[in-house]
Amino acid sequence: MRPAEISSLLALELRLDMRQRHALGGLLLYVVSAVYVCYLAVQKLVDVPVWNALFWIILLFAAFNALSRSFMREDGGRQLYLYTLVDPRSVILARTLYNALVMVVLSFLSLGFYILFLGGDALAKAEVGQFLLVTLLGGVGFAAVLTLISALAARAGNGLGLMAILGFPVVLPMLLTLMRASRNAIDGLPWEMNDKYVLWLLAIDALTVALAWLLYPYLWRD
Amino acid sequence: MRTKVTSLLILVMLLALPASSFAQEAAPAWLEETMFASGKINTVLIVVSVVLLGLGGWMFAMDMKLRNLERRLKK
Amino acid sequence: MRHWWWKVLCVLLLVYTAVVGLQTPLGPGLVHVDPARVDTGLVEIQLTGYATHFASCTSGNHVWFEKAGIAVCQPDIKAISDNTILVKVSPVHSTSPGMWSIVVDNATDGPLRLADAVYINSDGIAMTAAPCGMMTDNSSPSSFGPQFPNRSILNETIRNLFFHVPMWFSMIVLMGIAFVYSIMHLRSGSLDHDLAASIAVNVSLLFGALGIITGSIWARATWGGWWTSDTKLNGSALTLLMYLAYVILRGSVPDAHKRGRLAAVYNIFAFMLMLVFIMVLPRLTDSLHPGNGGNPAFSQYDLDDSLRAVFYPACAGWILLGIWAYNLRLRYGRLNALLDENESH
Repeated sequence: MRPAEISSLLALELRLDMRQRHALGGLLLYVVSAVYVCYLAVQKLVDVPVWNALFWIILLFAAFNALSRSFMREDGGRQLYLYTLVDPRSVILARTLYNALVMVVLSFLSLGFYILFLGGDALAKAEVGQFLLVTLLGGVGFAAVLTLISALAARAGNGLGLMAILGFPVVLPMLLTLMRASRNAIDGLPWEMNDKYVLWLLAIDALTVALAWLLYPYLWRD
Repeated sequence: MRTKVTSLLILVMLLALPASSFAQEAAPAWLEETMFASGKINTVLIVVSVVLLGLGGWMFAMDMKLRNLERRLKK
Repeated sequence: MRHWWWKVLCVLLLVYTAVVGLQTPLGPGLVHVDPARVDTGLVEIQLTGYATHFASCTSGNHVWFEKAGIAVCQPDIKAISDNTILVKVSPVHSTSPGMWSIVVDNATDGPLRLADAVYINSDGIAMTAAPCGMMTDNSSPSSFGPQFPNRSILNETIRNLFFHVPMWFSMIVLMGIAFVYSIMHLRSGSLDHDLAASIAVNVSLLFGALGIITGSIWARATWGGWWTSDTKLNGSALTLLMYLAYVILRGSVPDAHKRGRLAAVYNIFAFMLMLVFIMVLPRLTDSLHPGNGGNPAFSQYDLDDSLRAVFYPACAGWILLGIWAYNLRLRYGRLNALLDENESH
């Protein structure tokens, strides 16, 4: 596990995704459609708790959609080839990092669309910096938790269905903490009241990445 | 088969969670009376019976499993 | 000591739990007020007690209403039986409307309090602030041996403490066993460790299911709903979902070694996140459960010695029973696996 290895794996991921740009476009379209459906259903959202909850639910489903492909494109041969070259731990770290990047971009894009369609009135009193930080942590957190689950589901050979069943209960502690922290940020509470949630989020991120790092080598062997 | 049953169970659980929040207004009176009579002692009896029934059911399932095992051993 | 000493201990503990947990009488308490709302002109309310001695006590009774530090004595009372007492509320006028607590005091039962028992409308009753004074020998309320505290709302269901709560402890212990065996399986690759882990999960789900069903019944009788959106309930539901997902994952992988590895990885991941969940969740929301949030009926420091004397043995007994069940199921699983192996040769 060397930094150089990780960065070249990251570059590989990026190049592969650039080659299949329609996949990334599909993700974006998924988020836009989800937001648009919400818009058609409620037009304008002013109620803060609902605004907050809906936003995170959209992000959650976007995350499931985005991360379930993470290990799907691997077929036997290519995977074997990859694993003869690099340490599996570099693979999982690079993938988690890459997924985190994708999720952060996706989070902010969906936030943009969400505000565009459903209105940002709910954010009137918000601590914007805090809210953006929580959104960022949310993207990273979903990626951290779901990357290993995605690998598991892919190895079990049972795509999105299994991913949802396995991932949902595991992602929930993070989701609830995120909702609470972003709610506090939207309500404009001072940083002192919200910092513990941010710390919890960081702790969960660290724990899941550590677990993924420990456990992934057992997953890729066949 | 087993997987299907479990998936169904999860589905039912997920569906039942929101539904059960409506259930609290609709409880029939006899239920209320049974559960609340003499210091709610019957609630304790129901709880104990549920535990015993659950463990009994488990023992029964275990019994069937062992019977199958014996049948296989005899072959 | 033979190898089965702990099984004997388990049976003895459970017998003790059943006998003492169901046999110990409940202390006296107020359970009901009728009517629960007093408007102008309404003069008589009936208080119902449980395990009380309103009529047979030697001292006579005192009844007073309390709100926000004001105590108002109700002199006109009549004990109809040991469990009912009639209070004539004298209607004078003008107090602030609101919920009042009621206290009944006699020498045998000691002061019994029903918090926020009655709603008194404005212009309701006389509120010359005057407490009745305590009964003189309250210091030693009835001495009938050990009693369980009679908390309002809970009443007799306080005994469920010995039949509902330990289910969760059993479940967690079995999940811990599964966690350890999952780690061992990853290190050794032995299918026997995988079998042990999967069976521990299997049995823990039994206890989880019992916990959730008994909890639901208890919740209906005390909090008024089969399912309340409570921290612990959501936590336990999530835990069950996690482990049902584990069962599904096992079901969807045909190859035994691969199944073992994937299941072990998920189990370790899920168990750690479950621990996080248990730690985080109570800090996010209030809970109706003892020890979290504002729960008037029953809180941690209320677990008095009479309850503790049964609760701890009960927990030990149920945990041992869980391990015993796991042990039986594992031996069956091993025999089955052995037979499979022989048949395939």
